[in-house]
Amino acid sequence: MEMDKLGVVTTFIHNIVVYNIPLLYGTVGEIVVEKSGSLNLGVEGIMAVGAIFGYIIGCYANSIAVGILTAFAFGALCGLLFAVLTVSLQANQNITGLTLTTFGLGVYFFVGNGLKAVAWPAMNDYSGIKNGFADIAIPGLSQIPVLGRGLFSHNVLVYLGVTIALVMWWYLNRTAPGLRLRSVGENPGAADSVGINVKRYKYIHICLGCGIMGIGGYYMGLNMSGSFNSSCWINGYGWIAVALVIFANWNPALAILGTFVFGFFNTLRVSGSSLAAAFPGPLGWLAAIPTQLYQALPFIITAIVLVVTSVRKREDSGLPAALGLNYFREER
Amino acid sequence: MRFHVVKRDNCPLWKKLCLYVLAVAAALGLGALVLLALGVDPVSYYYRMFTMGMVGNKIAYKTFENYLKVFVPLALTSVALSLAFKMRFWNIGGEGQFILGAIAAATVAFKLGPVLPGAVTLLLMCLAAMLLAGLYGAFVAVLKVKFGTNETLMTLMLNYIALYILTFLGETKADWNFYLDPNSVRPIFASFSDIVTFPKIPLVGKFGLNVCVIFTLVIGVLVFVYLKYTKQGYEIAVVGDSVGTAHYAGMKVNAIVLRTVFLSACLIGLAAAFKVGTAGILSTAITDDVGWTGIIVAWLSQMNTAIIFLVSALISMLRYGSTVAAATFSQVDSSFANMLQGAILFLVLAADFYTRFRVVPVQKGGKTNGNG
Repeated sequence: MEMDKLGVVTTFIHNIVVYNIPLLYGTVGEIVVEKSGSLNLGVEGIMAVGAIFGYIIGCYANSIAVGILTAFAFGALCGLLFAVLTVSLQANQNITGLTLTTFGLGVYFFVGNGLKAVAWPAMNDYSGIKNGFADIAIPGLSQIPVLGRGLFSHNVLVYLGVTIALVMWWYLNRTAPGLRLRSVGENPGAADSVGINVKRYKYIHICLGCGIMGIGGYYMGLNMSGSFNSSCWINGYGWIAVALVIFANWNPALAILGTFVFGFFNTLRVSGSSLAAAFPGPLGWLAAIPTQLYQALPFIITAIVLVVTSVRKREDSGLPAALGLNYFREER
Repeated sequence: MRFHVVKRDNCPLWKKLCLYVLAVAAALGLGALVLLALGVDPVSYYYRMFTMGMVGNKIAYKTFENYLKVFVPLALTSVALSLAFKMRFWNIGGEGQFILGAIAAATVAFKLGPVLPGAVTLLLMCLAAMLLAGLYGAFVAVLKVKFGTNETLMTLMLNYIALYILTFLGETKADWNFYLDPNSVRPIFASFSDIVTFPKIPLVGKFGLNVCVIFTLVIGVLVFVYLKYTKQGYEIAVVGDSVGTAHYAGMKVNAIVLRTVFLSACLIGLAAAFKVGTAGILSTAITDDVGWTGIIVAWLSQMNTAIIFLVSALISMLRYGSTVAAATFSQVDSSFANMLQGAILFLVLAADFYTRFRVVPVQKGGKTNGNG
């Protein structure tokens, strides 16, 4: 009986990680893009495009590595489109991003429904994908009671996501190109005047960030076991990622923490009732909370964070000063 | 040879028009390639889409009425958003304001509809929707002028908070929840169309013109006049151009921002009241994405009220027409409209560049200027 209760806790922790690391991809990708001074509201659409092409091509190649690379490539292509329009052609970033979301979801359903009408590849038929997505236990750490299986026995995309977040933190804060990138986001005119190629920095990092988002989309598709129906795999995660960027104060390492906080509420929504059943005394009240509150919480928390940081005018805010503004050299 | 980009001051209208028409044609051409790849004849598909299957159809009047139901909320929301955009206030919160407006209108319909005369109820529905939506928008404007809170991100968050309030109402069976149908075991929204609904004016044959269409056109004209010929409209333009200039001219910038955003959100609430009052029922998809699409329409039209009506008519045609065409051409998914809309906008944004900028070859300083 006692073991069973601990099992519920372990499953809860395990699910927080499995179902929310896609958020981390979206968030870290958007942080990289925003650090170059571009506000890209197309995360939802980019994740969808990465997801559908990554899944289909990954299945046909029967290789999860091909799936990841394809998702990255298609995400980066969306980024390239965004960069051509906003960096070179000076189009408004909000409009371009929102259009990318409409367009991306259109492509997702068009390709998905189109293929489904012929023959949809089922994930279970492809051993390379199925085995590639299986959990890998970290020796030693995964033996810790309760937490071990919850935190240290996961699929390859979980480890990859956390690694990307940590590497991006190191890149942004500890390397020379990272420093230059941040200067482009803060004050492109000043960056340009000391010889930084602003356009090149923006192009590279928009594509890189969008590619990372694409992998997150692919991960969402695999989480759904690749079953394609009327609701999109991404299902609003792209928008939560935009919110999470603010919550994480534009810091990829903090984004890991933020993913767990948002993921905690997200998972309570699904497994709140099983927790309430396992611990009727202390947690029984969980069953009474409407699921919509959990769904709204990331946005409520972020709205509060937005207001509080703007009231306090924090010096250490990670918000890039030139975020959302296009850089036109002649107006410097 | 290297090139660089310079701003151009005024692009002649005919050139602009040519560029935009070219962009739309190119997008339709790309769409045609996709259709050809699917083995569908693009001409007959586009014909079906843009005529919405009305030619040779006995119930064409019904199709046109349905089309207007798509058109009215989109046009009014786009007009409303253009007020805020003209001031460079990024109201991305059309969805949230629309949803709260819809809830307010439905509340009035359920609570006061049975006791008050229809016209009074409809009027109160509109007012309640405008007030609630207006306050939701003004809340962000207050934060913006007081603390400099980023309005793009803030309105984005409020969209989702509003959406989950609506889904909460739509999915929670409870005694207090009068929005739901009491006769259904599963939670579904109750209809109030037999209590109150916007009337239709019978015109030609069986076709009845919903009064909301007339109101929307009238409001469009009023907003056009307001922006072009009134002091307040002028103030909006100045604040949008340069906040510094507005301050220097002695304008109360904060008050102007608050007033305009409130008005913008009010009109979105009104669009919601029109939609709910015509449908006679709430739905979790009540917005039909007009809050998002409206942003794109307002921007495409460069905040010009007359052009907004034209563009929303076209976009509505695209969206509604693609669902009609999907019934005939089963191999083309109705999401084709979203792709096409995206492609059109990407190409128009690209064309826009050439109306604002010119690409000229870089003159090598030493060779052409120094020696010449």
